[in-house]
Amino acid sequence: MNIIWRMLPAFGFTLAAGLLPQAAVAQDGAAVLNARCASCHEERADGSRNRISDVRKTPEAWGMTLVRMINVHGVKLTAEERRTLVQHLSDTQGLAPSESAGYRYVLEKTPGVTDTGPTDELSQFCGRCHTYARVALQRRPKEDWLKLVHFHLGQFPTTEYQALGRDRDWWGIASTKIVEELAKLLPLESDAWTAWKDTPAPDLSGTWRFTGHRPGVGHYDGLATLTAKSGGGYQMTTKATYSDGKTAESSGSAVVYSGHEVRASMKNSDGQAWRAVLSTGGNKDALTGRWFLRDNDVIGGAVNSVRQGSAARILSVEPAYIKLGQTKQITIHGSGLAGDVTLGTGLKFQATESSTDKIVLEITADMGAATGPRDVKVGASALPGALVVYDKVDSVKITPAATIARVGGNGGPIAPVPAQFEAIGYMAGGDGKTGTEDDVRIGIMPATWTTTNFDDAAAALKDADFAGKITPTGLFEPAGAGPNPARPMSTNNAGNLAIVGTVDDDGNKLEGKAQLFVTVQRFVDPPIR
Amino acid sequence: MKHLKPANQKAAEYVEASEQGREDEVRLMQTMVGCTATLDPGWEVDAFGGVAALCQPMEADLYGCSDPCWWPAQVADTLNTYPNWNADAPAAQRDWRKLQSVFPEDT
Repeated sequence: MNIIWRMLPAFGFTLAAGLLPQAAVAQDGAAVLNARCASCHEERADGSRNRISDVRKTPEAWGMTLVRMINVHGVKLTAEERRTLVQHLSDTQGLAPSESAGYRYVLEKTPGVTDTGPTDELSQFCGRCHTYARVALQRRPKEDWLKLVHFHLGQFPTTEYQALGRDRDWWGIASTKIVEELAKLLPLESDAWTAWKDTPAPDLSGTWRFTGHRPGVGHYDGLATLTAKSGGGYQMTTKATYSDGKTAESSGSAVVYSGHEVRASMKNSDGQAWRAVLSTGGNKDALTGRWFLRDNDVIGGAVNSVRQGSAARILSVEPAYIKLGQTKQITIHGSGLAGDVTLGTGLKFQATESSTDKIVLEITADMGAATGPRDVKVGASALPGALVVYDKVDSVKITPAATIARVGGNGGPIAPVPAQFEAIGYMAGGDGKTGTEDDVRIGIMPATWTTTNFDDAAAALKDADFAGKITPTGLFEPAGAGPNPARPMSTNNAGNLAIVGTVDDDGNKLEGKAQLFVTVQRFVDPPIR
Repeated sequence: MKHLKPANQKAAEYVEASEQGREDEVRLMQTMVGCTATLDPGWEVDAFGGVAALCQPMEADLYGCSDPCWWPAQVADTLNTYPNWNADAPAAQRDWRKLQSVFPEDT
């Protein structure tokens, strides 16, 4: 057990507590940088600092760098100094909203995402050990990208093998072509950052209306209240109501980095800790991202929120589909909702409840109504394609289509990593054939779940008997870690499984299938994987 | 081939494959125990898109991964970065419950 790491609270999120006011943080940040970093990172003639000034990145990445400096180079930093430095470095050398777009999944810890580099070569050189997203969320000049390549070889000598060094002049490629590509794709200086860097952190104080979807559980909506703390950051409380009527209340704190990155550290009323990774995206009245359980980040959900009192907006429509001939209660969630509801022809409806936050409709779909997605409008607000009218389910896809779970627990310190599946119903579309590009997504549907061996190799090892079980809500719970004497060669409870979800569309049963790799623990699990 | 008799199991499988017209199918070595000398299999998924060819049980050769820094993004490398990671667990197969993730829960 690594004692140093055990003693270190993780950065990213616990940065929330005890922050200094923004101006003081900036001043103190520079002072802490001088006091703690200057002895190695000398000041250059232009006032910048060797290495440190040559990088821009996310709060999580700055936190990881500081922890590496502590662990590998013996830097002594108090928890408060770390918080101050992460705030200072993220604010002065962060990423503009547009610079993190497309790679936020790695910050949000979204499960089941396929991470791909912009070229095969960049995927091979950067994406074989960690995500390419980890690289894409950094900006450096060419000279510093080259130093990063050198660092990799010095710190992790197997880089040579990982880079397929047996079969090509890997160093030649890594130290020239790759460095040049990275410097071009991810330069230290950018128009986006130049335009953004002096944008003051938005004042998030007030009430926010949010909605989202938690896979396996369902839609939720609620209110979050943020109150500025005298020492900086925000006190935050949330109350969410799930579509089954259950509620969840939480309290905690939130911090803004880089003028748009919001990190919340929360606890449910039952004591369960969760985190939120959000961004304004440059719009001070909106926050989007994902929340996840601190100790089990597969469990979480999307967050789509808008400041109460800002422009009217529809956030979600739930349930998001109706079948021809069906009468169904459907809710439009939003903020500042006012005006007539428009759903298009063939849908009769009446409002059974109406407020600026939500409008509950009882809708009947005529048998002759046109099928397909429809825009939902309330007054001048619209949400494109928010409600799907369908005649029948023609096919079912399971999401994620392929993902991993990890064995864990069984007396060991690393918890198992589950996998959550959902069944998505589709119409065949105009060509009448399923599995083609014009298939129409209907939405997430209730399903029954089973696991089977994915292939002959899995069947020979009876993977499905050992690797874990799937619950009625599509949550795969992996088996225990450690060698299993009941398996050949005491192999782990790993497995290559097919996850089968069956949707019952008024008696017509349709199956979808996903692949699940149940694999072994990881012993390095940083905020950016 | 009719005058030659397969001398071992692998040869017998080749004859069988030849008779079925499958001799051009290339199948790399699958290893159930002990790591290969290249990076296939990977840490999570093997080279064949499954897990059967991973080094399993993983604990049998875990320190063959951590000592030479084999999968440094998944396994704490004791070569440079986390020299004391497994100090309290001399035999991984017996002591695996003492092996912590180097980014434990925040508190």
